[in-house]
Amino acid sequence: MKKIKYFTALILLTAIFISSFKIAYSDNLNSNNYRIQFGNLNIGGEKLNSGTYYLSTSVGQSVAEKFSSNGYIVKAGFQYLKSIIPFSFSISDISMEFGTLTPSSPSTQTTNLTVSFGGAGQYLVTAIEETPLKTFDGLNSIPDTSCDGGVNTCTTTSAKVWASTTKYGFGYNMSGNDIPADFTDSTYFRPFPDRSAAASPVTLMSSTNVGKSRQSTVTFKINISNVQPAGTYRSVVNFTATPSY
Amino acid sequence: MGNKAQNVKRVTCNMKHKKRRYQFFANWEPREIEAGLLYESKNSVSSYLNIKSFGRARQWFFVFIFSFYFLVFSAHTVFAQQFGISITPPHLEVIIKPGKSILIAYKIQNFGDPMIIKSKIYSFAPMGNKGDLEIKEELEGPVRFELDNSDISLDQPFFLNSKADQQLLLRIRIPEGAPEGDYYYNLITENVPNPAGQGFSYSQARGRVGSNILITITSTGRIDLKGKISIFDVFSRFRFNFFGKTYRVFDSGDLIPIILIAENKGKNLIKPNGDVILRGNFGEKAIYNIIPQSILAESQRQLSATPSALINCDQGRKPFYCDRDSSFLISGFFLGKYDLSTTINFGEGSPNVYSNVSFIAIPIKFIIGLFAIIIVSLILIKK
Repeated sequence: MKKIKYFTALILLTAIFISSFKIAYSDNLNSNNYRIQFGNLNIGGEKLNSGTYYLSTSVGQSVAEKFSSNGYIVKAGFQYLKSIIPFSFSISDISMEFGTLTPSSPSTQTTNLTVSFGGAGQYLVTAIEETPLKTFDGLNSIPDTSCDGGVNTCTTTSAKVWASTTKYGFGYNMSGNDIPADFTDSTYFRPFPDRSAAASPVTLMSSTNVGKSRQSTVTFKINISNVQPAGTYRSVVNFTATPSY
Repeated sequence: MGNKAQNVKRVTCNMKHKKRRYQFFANWEPREIEAGLLYESKNSVSSYLNIKSFGRARQWFFVFIFSFYFLVFSAHTVFAQQFGISITPPHLEVIIKPGKSILIAYKIQNFGDPMIIKSKIYSFAPMGNKGDLEIKEELEGPVRFELDNSDISLDQPFFLNSKADQQLLLRIRIPEGAPEGDYYYNLITENVPNPAGQGFSYSQARGRVGSNILITITSTGRIDLKGKISIFDVFSRFRFNFFGKTYRVFDSGDLIPIILIAENKGKNLIKPNGDVILRGNFGEKAIYNIIPQSILAESQRQLSATPSALINCDQGRKPFYCDRDSSFLISGFFLGKYDLSTTINFGEGSPNVYSNVSFIAIPIKFIIGLFAIIIVSLILIKK
């Protein structure tokens, strides 16, 4: 019995010892024409200067190895961060089907936007629709919402209440991290800016604070009138995420 | 369920799957089989399936039950299509002579569903003063971009599987004689929306992820360093003008929101290097380092400094400084007069620029509370 216990303990210790090793990888850049291979580096900054200009370079791991020769200097990453942090953006559902639309009966769908930027912080997510919701032949469209009208008339930059079932259109609401302050609650909506009408994208998410994963929920809403022509309506909304410069 | 006759044989099988308990049972007699599947969740027990089979159908019964098992326990939940792309490096700055070219390796990783994507270069311009940017639809400037990949070109769709990554070898070429100055671009990787099945109205999201490319073309290496401080101030709780002088007053426990905006009047991007220093009457001193964020040509940028206090501005809880767009926040207990000063340099060889502002901190809430206690006490004593 003692022998079995010692043997089991030895197996466990061996397993722990082996699993504590870290495997080192090197990055390979390759194409059919050539292959470049270099290790995973973590080098501190270096200053280059002359009487006419002051430059500092920062390099980090893998792709951001310093390229420097006569005629150019390249800096990859942010000078104030010691390593390159990938910038990630995800959309949980890129196709939102509203089912059969019933007049004066709003239909909603949601999707989550998530930005990850390690500890680097500043980023921006903007949105713009290619066109309003329209049929494939382009003859009929569902207009962008103006919410409940009057004092509750919303614009692409100012969300207002859209609760009436007799106010028609297509719009969105937001909740979660780093969203505009005018989305007070779930009844506040905005229309998307329309690229076909030469509008500019609007900011949906932005932050100057560091944060590993910042997430918001976009709720799309459609409400049609009983005179809306029958058909399948489609729109494409562009969500663009970029780090701040 | 089932009968209790002595010649009845019974089999039960209990299983747990995704927090639900399933029990399959079968009772069979020489000429009859009764079987069922009980499904039990937290709040209910229900019979999901209950069949009886007679005689020769017994073998079909078992085939059905086993098929049903695979159907229930091996079916996968279907999720909507997810877009998830990461790009590295996220930011690139190049100072380059006309006639030169460089090769940069980008890594695109797909952590969403398999999809068709493409990469394209767009120009951008600064928007506002917080480092936001506006992507333009047309490519501007003399810089030329192409991919050295043998099988992928810019603006050409390609397939990227889930958890796969793709290297993009971006060649940036500056033609001879290209005008000097700054040109700002963004490498955007986006999915190509699939047309959904017709029949239902739908809205499709096109996900786009960008990486900044800031290019300064100079034949001499000389950078135009023309920075200045536009605004350096505090957002005080109270502000008084008295005999031509402005007094900024805080409560002793307030966070101090500071606004610092720098302007670049030159034709090349610059970065600020410097500090903000807080000095009090009792000799106390605190230093806050300005983060060297890029200020693009002929634009302004609201600067940040570190360390900065963090505040909770979620909906429903809003201190007064949540409504103020501040560069950074100073926390602490303040009493008396304080001086804030900043010294910034925009590059070696450029002059230092200075600015300062002062404020007064008084324990306002404490004093009001104290007066209230005194008044209430006096009233009680008189009674």
